[in-house]
Amino acid sequence: MPSDKYSNMEEKLWILEDLNMMYIRQIALSLQDSDIQKKIDHEIRMRDGACKLLAACSQRDQALEAAKSLQTCSTRIMAYMSELQRMKEAQVMQNIPRRSSDVGPMDDRLPCKGKVAISDLRIPLMWKDTEYFKNKGELHRCAVFCLLHLGGEIFDTDMVIVDRTLTDICFDNPIIFSDAGPGFQLHVELYSCCFEEDYSTGSTPRKLASKLSSSLGRSAGKKLRAAMETGPGSPVSNGGASPLLLPVPSVQGPKYHLLAHTTLSLSHVQDSFRTHDLTISGNEECSYWLPLYGSMCCRLAAQPNCMTQRMMSGWLKVRQCGGDPQSWSKVFAVLQGTSLFCYHRQEDVETNIEPVFTIGINKETRIRASEKDPHSKAQNICISNQYGGEEVTHTLTTESREDTHRWMEAFWQHFYDMSQWRQCCDDVMKIELPSPRKPAPITPKQGSLYHEMVIESSDDLSSTVSDILAQRMQELELRSQLGTSPTWMSLFEENLPKSGAFTRQYSPRLSGLSPSSPRGRPRSPLSYQRCPQLGLLSSDASLTSDSDSHCSSPCSHRYGWPEPSSNLSLLSSSPSRLRPRTLSLDAKLSTLRGKGYGSTLQCPCQPPPSSLLAPLPMSSRPPRSPRGAQTTLSCSSSTSSNSSSNSEGNHSPESSEGVAFSRPSPVRRSLRNLRARLDPRNWLQSHV
Amino acid sequence: MSFVPGQPVTAVVERIEIQKLSQGPNLVLGFCIGGGIDQDPGQNPFSDDKADKGIYVTRVSPGGPADVAGLKIGDKIMQVNGWDMTVVTHDQARKKLTKKNEHVVRLLVTRKTLEEAVKQSMSRPGPS
Repeated sequence: MPSDKYSNMEEKLWILEDLNMMYIRQIALSLQDSDIQKKIDHEIRMRDGACKLLAACSQRDQALEAAKSLQTCSTRIMAYMSELQRMKEAQVMQNIPRRSSDVGPMDDRLPCKGKVAISDLRIPLMWKDTEYFKNKGELHRCAVFCLLHLGGEIFDTDMVIVDRTLTDICFDNPIIFSDAGPGFQLHVELYSCCFEEDYSTGSTPRKLASKLSSSLGRSAGKKLRAAMETGPGSPVSNGGASPLLLPVPSVQGPKYHLLAHTTLSLSHVQDSFRTHDLTISGNEECSYWLPLYGSMCCRLAAQPNCMTQRMMSGWLKVRQCGGDPQSWSKVFAVLQGTSLFCYHRQEDVETNIEPVFTIGINKETRIRASEKDPHSKAQNICISNQYGGEEVTHTLTTESREDTHRWMEAFWQHFYDMSQWRQCCDDVMKIELPSPRKPAPITPKQGSLYHEMVIESSDDLSSTVSDILAQRMQELELRSQLGTSPTWMSLFEENLPKSGAFTRQYSPRLSGLSPSSPRGRPRSPLSYQRCPQLGLLSSDASLTSDSDSHCSSPCSHRYGWPEPSSNLSLLSSSPSRLRPRTLSLDAKLSTLRGKGYGSTLQCPCQPPPSSLLAPLPMSSRPPRSPRGAQTTLSCSSSTSSNSSSNSEGNHSPESSEGVAFSRPSPVRRSLRNLRARLDPRNWLQSHV
Repeated sequence: MSFVPGQPVTAVVERIEIQKLSQGPNLVLGFCIGGGIDQDPGQNPFSDDKADKGIYVTRVSPGGPADVAGLKIGDKIMQVNGWDMTVVTHDQARKKLTKKNEHVVRLLVTRKTLEEAVKQSMSRPGPS
């Protein structure tokens, strides 16, 4: 029976896995290297965790992230195990006595290691005309990420969802490999997985599914097949390595496939962006296919240690050739990068004081040990450089012979490093530290305050609005713990000092909000202070018309508040449905237009006269930060008054500013439209 | 941000991705544009060069999708989803932004602060 065979297979796989683990552990023990062993254990634990997460999660993007970590962990395990085997081999080779004919003179010198950083990865896509420009067909989306593999280090980039509105796939965060030799091989692999939301064919029997897929249309069939791939019958894929070594437990869930790969090495290193070719695997029929242009742009920088670290330092006596033969200056010299820095004192090095002088050490420099100076015991070292057309020679001498030897050794090593790292040693390449990975931005699919402000024509809006706002604030508590918060939150922070005077007056009216404060939120002392802000935010609206009286709760409190605040930020959050009542506002608008038009247009950054702000029936605006408030407001008022005044009694061209979310009647709209557009004095604005 | 006719336009741009918000039957981005080759460029309060007929952001609804994505008032829009916005009429620009079956717009926008930031970082002395 198939199920028996399957479970049998699974058992065998588990046994094999156990054996492999024992083998690995033995190797590690024999090498007396517990480091790799720990790493392997760690990765195996991570992998198990990822499998569990994959099995448990229901949302597609979580599943994709978990699958990505699974892929990374598997690759890392492979890498560590092959490293372990290599080390074992090396050890075994060493134990065999070497015959002189086998191996040539061992080059003792090893080049220094360095940091290699790859950043700003960009992979252009090449969509077909019909798909891209005409937006035909369904939106085919794929989740992609890059796996970067150098030596023993493997890193993955963040996952990006790609669909046909994207022209390239960008991975911006720099990835730094710290222990790379000059002969490094950086493998870049692009994995992708089809991202379809709708198909859940987990339990459909295979035959039925294939029948379905053949009878459906081509693209739908492809998608089904892709979804079927995530079923239990799919082959084990573990990055191409032999499955017997450490079989990956097959899990349900999205699987990533290798889409393209390339290998970068020292010759590709440059301080600017370069384009490299990609080798693409897979074809159009695969579900994970993306039309890649075939190349990849990135910035590959390398900082060899000889450029960034101090290779050698010590006390020296230096004399410039052509100078006074007795003028030896005693300096503390540091060999780093392309120069030998000479300081008066050792402490100067740490305190960033400018060196007394600097001797260049680069590819053109020639260093030799001079003949024994009759005056001193040790040999002198002569460093010659070409500055301009002239040759300048510095002579160094040290305290003892061993010192001289050490310095010479350091210089030879330095030259060797420079010859190995080639273009990286011309100048130090800048490597940015990667910014800490931001948590995935939470895009509330339920919408924002706009959605929640669906208010019927009830007059008592106070509780609804305050409830919604309280809800939002709770949400924000959570969000702010992750470090992100929408801009309007800062309004509450910033307005605190002003709130003092207003506190008492608003508390009875905003009773809807106060129950929320003792809900045990960590910031409850603040929340009480927040209540008055709502009123404050709409205070300036008091200057305007009475027709706003029906607007939502914060507005209703205005009348007791004649004092316009300097924070002219919030306009009343009148919902869109109240449009009919604000019609009379248009009349007011046209009367008011004369006031602010000329002045505010030219200087958008000055705070506008407050009278202009209020009449704008900006529907559904949540409280927002004052950060951009002044500027934004003045511009908006000027533009809307501009538009209103420009249109000669037409309040706005169709879909333009001032009536954000409401639509005037069609006839009126078209008339306005026409008039507004034909008037050459207009500078049209459209709301999108 | 001004251009010389016949020469390619270069600018330092920022990539901004805005997710459209569904508001009933409409998809809303939450900002307003002004400008266009059929508009009078002298009335643009945001452009440096008063002959610039490009599309500028004149207003950003606070808390709206554009605000959240980082669009700022006064930005000049260079591209929308790959479509050029530097030589288009106002209506063409509006249409490219309000396609009904597109839920995401990816803009390339430029502003003066970007150019200044690049200049500053280039003039900063490198590490020794």
